Amino acid sequence: MQETILSVRDIRKYFPSGSQVVKAVDGVSFDVYRGETLGLVGESGCGKSTTGRMTIRLLDVTSGSVLYGGQDIATLKGADLRALRCHMQIIFQDPFSSLDPRKTIGDTIGRPLKVHRLAGRHERFERVLELMERVGLDPNWVNKYPHELDGGRRQRVGIARALAVNPEYIVCDEPVSALDVSIQAQVLNLLQDLQQEMGLTYLFISHDLSVVKHLSNRIAVMYLGKIVELARSEDLFASPAHPYTQALLSAIPIPSIGKKPQRILLQGDVPSPKNPPSGCRFHTRCPYATERCRSEEPCLREVQEGHHVACHLVK
Amino acid sequence: MEKTDIQENNLLQIEDLHIHYMSEGREIHAVNGVTLHVNEGETIGLVGETGAGKTTLALSIMKLIQKPAGRYAGGRILFGGEDLLSASENRMHHIRGNQIAMIFQDPMTSLNPVYTVGDQIAEVIALHGHMHAKQALERAGDTLEMVGIPRERANEYPHQFSGGMKQRVCIAMALAANPQLIIADEPTTALDVTIQAQVLDLMGKLKRELNTAMILITHDLGIVSEVCDKVAIMYAGRILEFGTLEDIYLHPTHPYTLGLFNSIPKLDQKISRLTPIKGLMPDPANLPEGCAFAPRCDYACPACTKTCPPGEAISPTHTVACLRHRELASEAGRN
Repeated sequence: MQETILSVRDIRKYFPSGSQVVKAVDGVSFDVYRGETLGLVGESGCGKSTTGRMTIRLLDVTSGSVLYGGQDIATLKGADLRALRCHMQIIFQDPFSSLDPRKTIGDTIGRPLKVHRLAGRHERFERVLELMERVGLDPNWVNKYPHELDGGRRQRVGIARALAVNPEYIVCDEPVSALDVSIQAQVLNLLQDLQQEMGLTYLFISHDLSVVKHLSNRIAVMYLGKIVELARSEDLFASPAHPYTQALLSAIPIPSIGKKPQRILLQGDVPSPKNPPSGCRFHTRCPYATERCRSEEPCLREVQEGHHVACHLVK
Repeated sequence: MEKTDIQENNLLQIEDLHIHYMSEGREIHAVNGVTLHVNEGETIGLVGETGAGKTTLALSIMKLIQKPAGRYAGGRILFGGEDLLSASENRMHHIRGNQIAMIFQDPMTSLNPVYTVGDQIAEVIALHGHMHAKQALERAGDTLEMVGIPRERANEYPHQFSGGMKQRVCIAMALAANPQLIIADEPTTALDVTIQAQVLDLMGKLKRELNTAMILITHDLGIVSEVCDKVAIMYAGRILEFGTLEDIYLHPTHPYTLGLFNSIPKLDQKISRLTPIKGLMPDPANLPEGCAFAPRCDYACPACTKTCPPGEAISPTHTVACLRHRELASEAGRN
């Protein structure tokens, strides 16, 4: 039996937008197991980043709870909340805007140590050099500024900063999307190595399904603020059950010639999260939608061991 | 690349093109001797990473290289036999949009927010088709329908369209004057994968119907395999490998091409670890002597750092610019 490190229960995030409300995340539940990589995929605006940020309380939930070590993190305050930050960290997508341009990379990496009073000045410097070496940055660059580094190296700075406080759970929010493929492969290998050596748990958010498949043990597919399917990586790719997952997987351009799976082309665009469709949110684009799909919202249920689907049509 | 015999249906010939930019007192060598031929109705994928010179090459065909920072430092561009580099600006006005059209990466910024999409498409038609505004607006409606947008929406503004729809509008604008060549610069990079599938499907269909030649610039080898007939792999301003889809996907020969394939996670295979290309792209203001890829190449030998390898045909359709391609090919054959 796997140990659950984080339990997310029915979390919602509503952002006010004029007189309307954007339902960015609307009732999402999942568990994260220790040492695994849980992939979170979906298209722009499906709420995957918002979900990721709520799991580490970078955003407060509108309702629902995130349980870490048996405690609802929404109730934490002061010193307890600061302590939580040492267990949970995030790596951001854009290595260009997530680093302070006026701080040297040594300052940036050492900052969490200073904020959390984890090390004195000399110790901190030693630790920064150690972290830089760990993520494959030349320690001689400790006094360089972000603009002197290329995208791949900047992302390594972001990774070193996240590792500084020795966290056990890291949200990776599209960490390689801004990088070229050859650099992307270097960073993906680094993330894998760090996970093995330090026993890290990742929530890996990406729109790139091949990258998610490569890293993840389990994958959750989101559509318009909801999880539509959650399964082990190999099960999801071998037998996607939700019509949206099927369309999503078939839409990936595969870099090979010859045999190609039949592409399922979806009609139209993703509806607005301000006014999501009734019933199943995917029914407006689903080729198999029935009357029931238009009126009744399907819940996420286990159809096979470890394989959860939110669709009325899946037996 | 070696010169191939000029075929009758040859539409665009780029011969040994060099483009340099001045930036902060340094001379950036963006394009360094590119030779590329595009035939009528054919789609060529131009693949490479950031800074490979793909977009500079595309802009140079339209003569949109900014002056005085950028300059053509050598070579020729022939379009339908006409030398574009010596063509007047008036002549280029006629060619742009009419004969060569461009689709840009970001549909959000390539449309004018204060005009309706119908007006924007009609402008292209009126300008190049010498028509009255009313007639042009009518034609704009037809063009919108061709890309799957109801003609009633011609009166709406870009902000009322989603990203995928905006890119369809850009495609409609590019096709409006019936050009012979379309240059599409990362046309689906800003789109989600299901919307990308719709747009690629549309582009493929229109291309077949209208028999337009296309240069598709992308970093995604998956997209190339779906849309293109031939592939050019570009690195540091040079084309390192060129061939048909079969040549590149079944017999990739240049170490850089192999490196690219090994860097991408495969959906159809389980690989526990990727094999990245080591190191970084060279500084385009200070390119290494010899083969620009040599410092990152696992197969580099001393000669590679001295001689810049010319393109060599290894089959009638397949060209490789690598000094050691023969040894590598025989090595690959043994394994």
